[in-house]
Formats: sequence, structure tokens, C-alpha cells
Amino acid sequence: MLELRGVRLKEDAAAFDHVFNAGEICVVLGANLAGKTDLCRLVAGLPTQASLATAVLDGVDLVSQPTRVRSVALVTQAFVNYPNWTVAQNIGSPIHARTSSRTIRARRSAKTATAERVDELAQALGLSDLLARYPHELSGGEQQRVALARALAKDARVLLLDEPLVNLDYKLREALQGEFKTLLHDRGTIVVYTTSEPHEAFALGDQALLLRDGELLQADAPLEVYCRPNSLDAMDLMSQPRTNRVAIANGTAAVRPEHISLQAIDDAITYQLHVIATETNGSESFVHGSCDGADWVVRQSGITVLQTGETVPVYVRREDLLEFSA
Amino acid sequence: MTRIAIEDLAFRYPGAPSDTLSSLQLEICSGEAHALLGASGAGKTTLLNLLSGLLRPSSGRILFDGKDVSNLAPKLRNIAQVFQFPVLYDAMNVANNLAFPLRNFGFAPSDIESRVARIADELDLRSALDRKVSGLSLFEKQLVSVGKALIRPNVDVVLLDEPLTAVEPHRKWQLRQSLKRVQVDLGVTMIYVTHDQTEALTFADRVSVLTVDGILQTATPEAIYAEPSFEAVGSFVGSPGMDFVNVAGLSRVPSNLDASQKLGLRPEWVELCVPGDGMTAGVCDDIVVLGTAFGERVGIATVTTPAGTINVRTSGDVALGTQLGIRFKRAAVYRDTALVGSHEF
Repeated sequence: MLELRGVRLKEDAAAFDHVFNAGEICVVLGANLAGKTDLCRLVAGLPTQASLATAVLDGVDLVSQPTRVRSVALVTQAFVNYPNWTVAQNIGSPIHARTSSRTIRARRSAKTATAERVDELAQALGLSDLLARYPHELSGGEQQRVALARALAKDARVLLLDEPLVNLDYKLREALQGEFKTLLHDRGTIVVYTTSEPHEAFALGDQALLLRDGELLQADAPLEVYCRPNSLDAMDLMSQPRTNRVAIANGTAAVRPEHISLQAIDDAITYQLHVIATETNGSESFVHGSCDGADWVVRQSGITVLQTGETVPVYVRREDLLEFSA
Repeated sequence: MTRIAIEDLAFRYPGAPSDTLSSLQLEICSGEAHALLGASGAGKTTLLNLLSGLLRPSSGRILFDGKDVSNLAPKLRNIAQVFQFPVLYDAMNVANNLAFPLRNFGFAPSDIESRVARIADELDLRSALDRKVSGLSLFEKQLVSVGKALIRPNVDVVLLDEPLTAVEPHRKWQLRQSLKRVQVDLGVTMIYVTHDQTEALTFADRVSVLTVDGILQTATPEAIYAEPSFEAVGSFVGSPGMDFVNVAGLSRVPSNLDASQKLGLRPEWVELCVPGDGMTAGVCDDIVVLGTAFGERVGIATVTTPAGTINVRTSGDVALGTQLGIRFKRAAVYRDTALVGSHEF
């Protein structure tokens, strides 16, 4: 368990507390500059503008520990590996650093243990055929897998993954996401995974922690945050594309793009949507338009094409229209 | 307003053991919005550099309206390019950035003024003309980059290299729409390079899927999604990609199909039912929640069946670990990894 108290990610932001549980993946969701990287650097003990009051890892104070002895591993969005070492050496490097044995016998047995662990991790991440290669001979996805294997080799209590997939091709992202889920779950590790994509919170997260401008908006199970956001900002962060606004007395209401129907439904509120454009990607269509002066987008499964310029009725169930006070 | 033809194009980097591109054929119509979709390492950037003249082909030709430009220097080709990140003069205002290429080419000041006004109107940049570029949002900056690429009235082709990468996520569609509108209004040929299928499928009139084995398919976005010509296209496009199951592994072989064939399935082309009622049955090992729709939980369930793994788009609660039947609604039919038809159930 990692307990953070008095986390202040930005100078003018309110401080917050959060507890990360062992064996859980906590997906930290936020836009650019929301403070996701600062949170990781804070836990890792790297220089950052952020600060915290206390950090306790499994009952032991973390703040007083120097960076290099903390049981924390960090994977960043840049693929960081030792360029002059092979994949096997890269993956094994944290184990070597840990076991600087004195006697020849101890060194020999440590060497075998290292090789076994490297093989095991390489297999789990599909790197077995690449162990003799150098990082520059690998694709981006392979380099990022090596970085992840090295982080796992450290067997740290806390694994920080700071937007690890952002620089990768979309198909690779999908494949690695699947691998992460199986690799990270059954180890009892505390995993902190940052992203700006809500679907990653659903795909990977046991918990979702939503950040905006350095402040904690909400922390709960992803589906809970999705169904019961505590603010308009939280609802927007967990929505792709952004939510649609409806002006109400004393505040704003909003509805998710996938909760608007083009077909009449029972007990629904009807709105008039002025269609600006329709986009489709094969499996889904996005109808962009305006409704009472607000920009709206309707997400439909399948292919729907509406004519630009036409005005159509759209339907929203009352319970899908969430109200927030101003 | 130019037709582009790529004939038997091959390229090998000096010292490389094999060709990066080989025997590539492609025709892009005049005034077409064409997307080149491929994973990294497929040769997208190499092809773009061959089109712009930064690289010369090892063999084969590139024709602009029938004229061979393969060995012309970039400045002698009539092209414009939009990059991943806005390439603009920060200290100049929007109007001067737009006018810059025209001044370089020696256009008359009065022509420059009217052309800048025309492009600014097309892109809704009128009110921003006097603003410094450094004060603009990423979206606005990239819009100005697009304007700069379109400013010369006689450009043959505009090359776009992942132009939405840097744009704020919720504004990507607006830039895409502006691009499309201006592409249609000006009738300019555009080649849009991306690894993002949503961008390719939403922007283009036609999409070419580029892999290390060359261009596997060139077709409309609808056909690329629903009738991928090869298994590799089907698994690349779609999220998750198309699943392929062996006809031989199904509970019964549907009429008109034979056991040597495979069926390509999209998550929304199949649905869960009671075991024994569908084409196959299996156990659900995983479910990824996508959200809710009209009170029901929506997700993608991964089901392992004797015919292969099938991802099913589901609505409502699904129990992990229980035996489930899968009903098919439609499928694409494959033999030896190539599309041979489609089947409605």
C-alpha cells in the first residue's frame, strides 16, 4: 500500500491525499500538463515542481529514502534503454545492480539466477528472439517492451508507467495494452499508469484517478467515475469525444455522446440537432452538430450518414442527463 | 488538380539488405483525398519523401498528370506539405505567414492580398489574420499551416504527414472537417499519411493500406472496413481488429462455404446467445467495458471457441468463465488469407 498525503502538484493547486493499493492498477487520467508526470516523479524521487507532505510505502517512510534505494521502477513515454547494451543486458541491469556479491560462488549463482529471470521476462513480453540485439536495431514497440521488462526485472513494489504507449502506433498500443493487463495484474505490485485516454482507464484500471490542473477531481472504479462523475470536468475527462452541454437553471447539464439516440425512445427528452458533419470509421459514426448554440457530437454504432445542414430530433433518457451546479 | 501515378516504384536505402518499397503501383485521381494507412516501418515516410523529391527512386516512376517527376528536385515539383507539428514563423502574424510562399515565388502584391483573403475565408481565419502566430492554439497554428500549404493557386498535390498529431484531441475532427471542406472547394489532390485508422477512414475518399509487403488494398473506407481484401488488412483496421475463425471448427458448416475457408468477423457482426443456438460456442475469458448505452453496460467480450478467438460487442451483463453461444450475422469469407466473398447468416 502506498499512502500519499498532502500532494501538491502545482503551486496554486489544492493538495490531496491518495492511497494506492497493492495488486491494483491505478490509471491516472488527465489532459496534458494536468500533473501526471509530476505525480510519477514525486513517487520516484526525481526533481519536480510538485511536493508532498508524507509518502508511506508498506508502512515505511519513502520521503527520507534516496531515489536509488526506493523500491520504485519508472517507464516513461520515451523509450529509455542503454544504447550500448544488448536487450538481455538491458533487462538484466537492475538485477546486477541489486546483487553485487563478493564471493565468486555467490556471483556465479547470481549470474544463473539473472539469466533465468531475463529469459522469463523476455518470454512474457515476446522478446526471446531479440535478446542479442541492441536497442537501435529494434522498433519503437520492441524498445518500449524492453524498457518495461527492465522495469519489471527490478521487482519493485511500485511500478510507474508514465504514458508508456503514447509514442507508439495505434495497433501496437492495442497489443501492448493487452500484454500489460496480464503482466501487471497477478504480481501484487502497486501499478500507477498515466494516460489521457479514457478507454485505457476502462481497459486497464482497477481504479481511476482523475487530475485536472494539478488537482484531484475524483478517484474510484472506472465504471463508477463514468456513471457518477462528481463534476463536469470529471465527466469530460472520462468521455471520448467530449460531453454535450445543456444549459439549465443554476448550472449546466451534460450528456455523453453515446447516450444520445437518433431513434425515438420512451420517456426521453427531445432536442433538435443541427447537423454540421458526419464522420464514420466503419464500426461507429460521429454526428457533429449544434444544439441550442452548443457544439454537440452524437456517437452511433454502425454507419449513419446525416445530411449537413439538416435539423433532426435526438433523444436523451432523463437519467443520462447529468446535472451539475455552477 | 493533378492525377498522380506511381508505377513499379522501388526504393532501397544505401547499404540496406533489402528494398523498403518494391514494385509499388498506385493511381490517385485528380482532386482526390487519399490516405496512406500503415504501421511504422511500412515505408510511409519513404513514400512521402519520394513524392516530395527528398529521395529518388531506385527504380520505377512517379508521374504528375503524365509528366515524369521522379528525378526532379523538390523545388521543381509543384507540391506543398503539412507536417506533424506546425512549421510557421512565430514572430510574424497569420497574414504574413500565409503570404510567405507567394512572396518567395514572386507573386504580385495585389494577387497575394486576394489569395490570402480567399484562403483565410475558406479556413475561417479572417479574424485571426492580424494575430501573431505565437499566441495561437495548436489547432489554430495547424490550421494556418494548412492554409500556407494551400496558398499557391497551382499546387499539384498537398502532402499531409500525420497532421493531427499535435492538435488538441477534441478539436481534431474540426481540423479534419476544415481540411475536407477546403480540399473539395479547391479541388486539390491530397495525400494524407497516417497510422491512425480513424483519421484515414474519416478523411479519405479512398484509403491505401501499406505494409512491409506493399500496398495490400486501395478502396473506399467502407470497403476497407467491411471487405478487407486480405486477412492482414482486416486485423490492422478496426479496434479490435477483425477475428478469423476456421469454418472447419464451427458447430456446422453453413451452406455455400467449405471447411478450408475462414470467416472474418467484426465485433458488431456477432452476438451472444445460448450455447447450441449459434454457429459456435466457447468460454468468455475477458471483457473490456466501453461504457454504458441506454442503461445497459456495453463492452467487448473475448470468447475462446474451437474455431478461434472471437471478440463480441455486448450489451448487458456477461458472466466470465461460462459457456456461451455465438450467433453470426455476417462475415467476410477468406481462402489462403485472401478475400473470396461475404456471407449473410
